[in-house]
This record gives sequence, structure tokens and C-alpha cells, in this order.
Amino acid sequence: MSKNQSWILKHPWSVRSFHYLLVLSFIPLAITGLVLYFKPFDQLEMNLYMRIHVVTGVILTLDAVAYFVIGFNRVIAFVKRSFSFSVNDIKWFSILGGYPQKFLLRKKVSVPPMGKYNSGQKLFGICVLIGGTILIATGWGLWAFPHTLPHGMGAVFGTLHLVFGWILVLFLLIHIFLGIYMFDDFKAMFLHGKIPYEEARGMAPLWVEKEIMKIEM
Amino acid sequence: MKEKTYQYEENPSYVSRREFITISGIVIAILAIPSIWVRSAVVKRNSYIRARIKGLYRDDTESKVRVSHGNGGVAKLYSDFAGHPLSEVSEELFHTQSYINRTRI
Repeated sequence: MSKNQSWILKHPWSVRSFHYLLVLSFIPLAITGLVLYFKPFDQLEMNLYMRIHVVTGVILTLDAVAYFVIGFNRVIAFVKRSFSFSVNDIKWFSILGGYPQKFLLRKKVSVPPMGKYNSGQKLFGICVLIGGTILIATGWGLWAFPHTLPHGMGAVFGTLHLVFGWILVLFLLIHIFLGIYMFDDFKAMFLHGKIPYEEARGMAPLWVEKEIMKIEM
Repeated sequence: MKEKTYQYEENPSYVSRREFITISGIVIAILAIPSIWVRSAVVKRNSYIRARIKGLYRDDTESKVRVSHGNGGVAKLYSDFAGHPLSEVSEELFHTQSYINRTRI
């Protein structure tokens, strides 16, 4: 870290701690979920995977509920950012953020100015908000209250759990890849929460322009 | 006090009070509406079971004979034919002779 460089606090401690627990719970959930779907092992091992799935599901629920209650203002800001659309989002999706050109053709194309989250991240955010809530609700219904669910609702819950599970697992792969690719942001989320001002101005100019303020030292 | 190692942060007033109330209301409504729907479906299903239980209790209340050993027909069967409960004839005719495990069927 250069001493002359200016830094923005992008991910405060509350967000980082929520994200740590999310990583620790969702990745085992995704792996055990895939195992439960494909059933490659015998009954005893499948039972163990089911238990891990349930325990990590409970951890994920507690994490999500705690963040919803404690960090409610940040949840609201996240919803506002995720559901704010403009013509820039159409332009961004038309070139897919310039990533295919960068990775496949080694070519840099101009990308429309983005806010804190680019259009792809916004789509991911919407999927996490809606899909995550549905996964938690249906997971609890299927595990804790299957005897209470009316006829047919268990099957609906199972289908919803499966569909949104697949969507989030596939999105997770892209999220992990691009998360590590944006290494400064990766370090910010997992270590200190800060990203260089200049980099933020390049990656998210609208965020820096509209939402960032200099703090009194 | 520990010195801050960053010079910029997000403006806390990025979400205005009006937006905060609006978005909170929408989020809570989206969470509450399916919950109400699921709850009403569960209550509806349970009301069917409750009606069934109520019917069984009503039949029980209205019945003249409420216990099997008070059933005159059964008492007559034993006195005229089977002798007494667990007698040889009773064992032969009324009891299950073999158990078939049907858990895998």
C-alpha cells in the first residue's frame, strides 16, 4: 500500500463479517446440494451430506437474518443499487462489460460508466436477494415442517429450491472467478475493506462521483 | 483513537429518508405476502384435519357403545363361539399369523 495513495472504504467490517459467514456457509451448501442432486454415494454418506447441508443452511439463515436486522440500512442501499436501471445497463449487457473481448480477444473496449455495482453484479444481486430468500424459506419448509405443508406445496417448495439452487450455484462460479480477477476488490472484501481511489474512479465512476465523500481527518 | 487508514467513504445519505421508507415497505411486503399465503394454505389444510377430528369425537359422543368390550355383539361372539379373548379359537381366527415387512414395497 503506497502511503500517497488515497483509499475508499468500500466494504466496512459489518459487510465483510457477513460475507465471511456467507462464504463459509454457501460454498458447503452448494457442494452438498450438488451431491444431494446427483447422489453419487451410498445411503450412509448421502445422509452425512444431508446433515452438513442442514447445518450450513442454519448458519446461512442466521447470517442472513442477523444482517437483515443489524445492517438493515445497508440492505436497503443494496436493494436500491441493484434495482436502479438506466440505458447504461443495456449498453453494458450488449458488450457483457467488455469481459469476453478482454479474455478471448485481448482487446479493451469502452464500457459505459457504472455505479458501485456494474450491470452484471446488479443482476447477481437481484438473484441473491430473491433466490437466496426463496432458498432459505423453502429449505426450512422442506427440512423442518414437511408434515405441516399442504398437499402439493412440498413439491412446489422442492422445485423452487432446486431451480434457485442451480441459478445461484452457476452464478457463484462466475462471481468467484470475477471476484478473484478484480483482485483489489477481492482484497478489500477479504482483508481490509478498502480500494484505491483511482481504481474505483476507473471501475465505478458514477459511484465515486455520486456516493463517495471525503472524510474529516 | 485509532487513525483511519482511508480518506473516503460512502455518503450515508445516499438513500434518502423517503426512499428508505418506500424500499423498506416494499421489502417487508414482499417477504410478508408469501408468508401469509403459505400460512393460510397450512391453516386451510389443518382445518380439514380439525373437521375430521371433530367428526370422530362427535361420533364417539353420540355412540351408545364407546368401548369394544361393551359391544354386545362381541360379547355374544365370545360367549357362544370363541370362549374368551386369547382362546385357541380366537388366536386362530382373529389374530395375525405372520408379519410381512412392507417397508420396501
